[in-house]
Amino acid sequence: MDALKISGLVKKYGDFEAVAGLDFSVREGEIFALVGPNGVGKSTTLKMISTILTPTAGAISVFGLDTVRDAHAVRGRISYLPEEAGAYKNLSGHEYLDFMAMVFLRDSRKAAEAAAYGARLSGLGPRLGDKIKTYSKGMARKLLLARAVMIRPRLAILDEPTSGLDIVNGYEIRKTIKELAAGGMTFLISSHNMTEIEFLSGRIGVINRGKLLACDAPAALKSQFSTEDLEEVFVRLTQ
Amino acid sequence: MNIFTVLLRKEIKELLTRQLVISIAAMIFVFYVIGKSVGSHSRASGASNSIVVMDLDRSELSARLLKAMGGGKTPIKPSAFTGIASAMAAPEHAAENSFLVIPDGLARSVEEGRPSRLEFYSRFRKDASGMGPAMAASRIRKVSALAAAEASAYALERKAPGLPPAFLRDPAPAEEYVVIDGRTEKVPLGQVVGFIQSQSYFFPIAVFFIVILSAQMIMTAVATEKENKTLETLLSSPVDRRLLVLSKLTASSIIAAALSVAYMLGMRSFMGGITGAAESASASAAAAGPALIKLGLIITTQGYLLIGLSVLFCILCALSMAFILGILSEDVKSIQAMLMPLMMPLMISYLMPIFIDLSTAGWGIKALLYAIPFTHAFMAPQNVMMGNFARAGWGIAYQAAVFAVFVTLAARLFSGDALLTLRLRLPGARKKAAAQ
Repeated sequence: MDALKISGLVKKYGDFEAVAGLDFSVREGEIFALVGPNGVGKSTTLKMISTILTPTAGAISVFGLDTVRDAHAVRGRISYLPEEAGAYKNLSGHEYLDFMAMVFLRDSRKAAEAAAYGARLSGLGPRLGDKIKTYSKGMARKLLLARAVMIRPRLAILDEPTSGLDIVNGYEIRKTIKELAAGGMTFLISSHNMTEIEFLSGRIGVINRGKLLACDAPAALKSQFSTEDLEEVFVRLTQ
Repeated sequence: MNIFTVLLRKEIKELLTRQLVISIAAMIFVFYVIGKSVGSHSRASGASNSIVVMDLDRSELSARLLKAMGGGKTPIKPSAFTGIASAMAAPEHAAENSFLVIPDGLARSVEEGRPSRLEFYSRFRKDASGMGPAMAASRIRKVSALAAAEASAYALERKAPGLPPAFLRDPAPAEEYVVIDGRTEKVPLGQVVGFIQSQSYFFPIAVFFIVILSAQMIMTAVATEKENKTLETLLSSPVDRRLLVLSKLTASSIIAAALSVAYMLGMRSFMGGITGAAESASASAAAAGPALIKLGLIITTQGYLLIGLSVLFCILCALSMAFILGILSEDVKSIQAMLMPLMMPLMISYLMPIFIDLSTAGWGIKALLYAIPFTHAFMAPQNVMMGNFARAGWGIAYQAAVFAVFVTLAARLFSGDALLTLRLRLPGARKKAAAQ
């Protein structure tokens, strides 16, 4: 079964068409990257998959469930990390993880386990006892990433997962994503970092002006455009 | 722990910041300090509360006047000076502001039936501020009334020796009756009005502040979640969105109620220090007590319950409206401007009933005021005191209906795209945004 299947997806804001007929699918356990220039509908697409926005036309299926009709059930299977997301500044890191674990899992025992796992994943150690408003951007991002995957969703939707992280932290996060995917978790990632995309993803979908321009494995795309540089593929596709 | 409790705890933790607690504590402290210092200042400045009297007549009448005036609350200070200018210039009277000159020949003029004058002088200082001048005016009014009554008694004793002066002064004294809802009681109207005002003195202020505080809080909570994108995470979670709305409404109500209690304590201490309002209110109630009970003006437990329900629904209406305004807010900075659509009806329903008698107002004004759900809460104490329980009940029912409409609208907006895509830019908000 496909973890995600998108068919003829359209999203309009008044006269503006942010997503203009998108079709692609993501296999279970796959890391799929959605790339494209700024403002071409990536985040809108991720929000529609996350059931936050409703498509104007077309359909999104997550593990066979329709994101509009079965929105509540879909939410039980996904975890979404928005780009530049914040956290509740007056809560400590621990309180935030505990709260989010309860919100997503609704079971005290499972939530406690997930929050403990999230605490380990975040790598923030004793700083988790401090209020989030004292965190640096990188620390906050690590906490949010830990939150997104600690509940072990079947599909993790990550918008720019490593933005704001330094090289070491970015590398650790990428390694964690790889490990979790190997364990069966499916990832849909949006990123501008082509090195990260190449390292992580099994397939890449390149979109521009709300439309899918290409969708294949990084190596296949490079071969198609006769180049060793994925960034060149991106530039040639989107210009 | 159920999910609603988890959400509510988070909302309260986010709202009840250290800064908020400190600012409220500081506000109570400032009120308390101002009230206390004004009270002690008034006591300490007792010297300037007295009246300096220069008795140039030194007659039986002037002695009786001094005694009668001394029987009031105002201290009377006899002075040996014989002229107002020299008395005012004297160092020992430098702090005094009120002077009375009893002219030479006063008794003789009264006895001969010729009019005379008592001369009251008030020193108005250039840097006078606060309530001092107003208090001096009130003091002189009271003392001059006592002196006039005594001078009148003196004249009547001499001109009509067979009859008591009190009878001659007022042979047919007025008796005041108050009629409420068919019940008639002999009680001065002033006492009834004073009692009603004392009962509802703090009430509208408290309701006003609760509404403003809770509205601001919930708008900030929604706008902050939007701005920080924490809302997107919550919206993608398997939590019923109605619970998200309800937890925010409940948390804002709890914090607003707690803050209002704190505010009222500070305000009460402040007003008590300045005017002794609490004491005079209870004294007024005690004096007219039995009559007030018979008139049905003493609020019963059921009456308080009705008022409480009306206030609760007033807050809930404001919260549901503010929730929608929060959804429409561009960001946290625009909240002040976005409060305007809520502030306007609130101000109208708060201020207009103070100046307009709703029982005789035109239908247009009545329709406007009763259409605003907040009016019913402001009017609730009066309705309950006057026995208009049906009107209070209908008011609550109307408020509940308005709340149901707005909370449904809020929940629908919260569940749809509008939450992330809809923006309302008021002229003020646009200017602010442009400035930033």
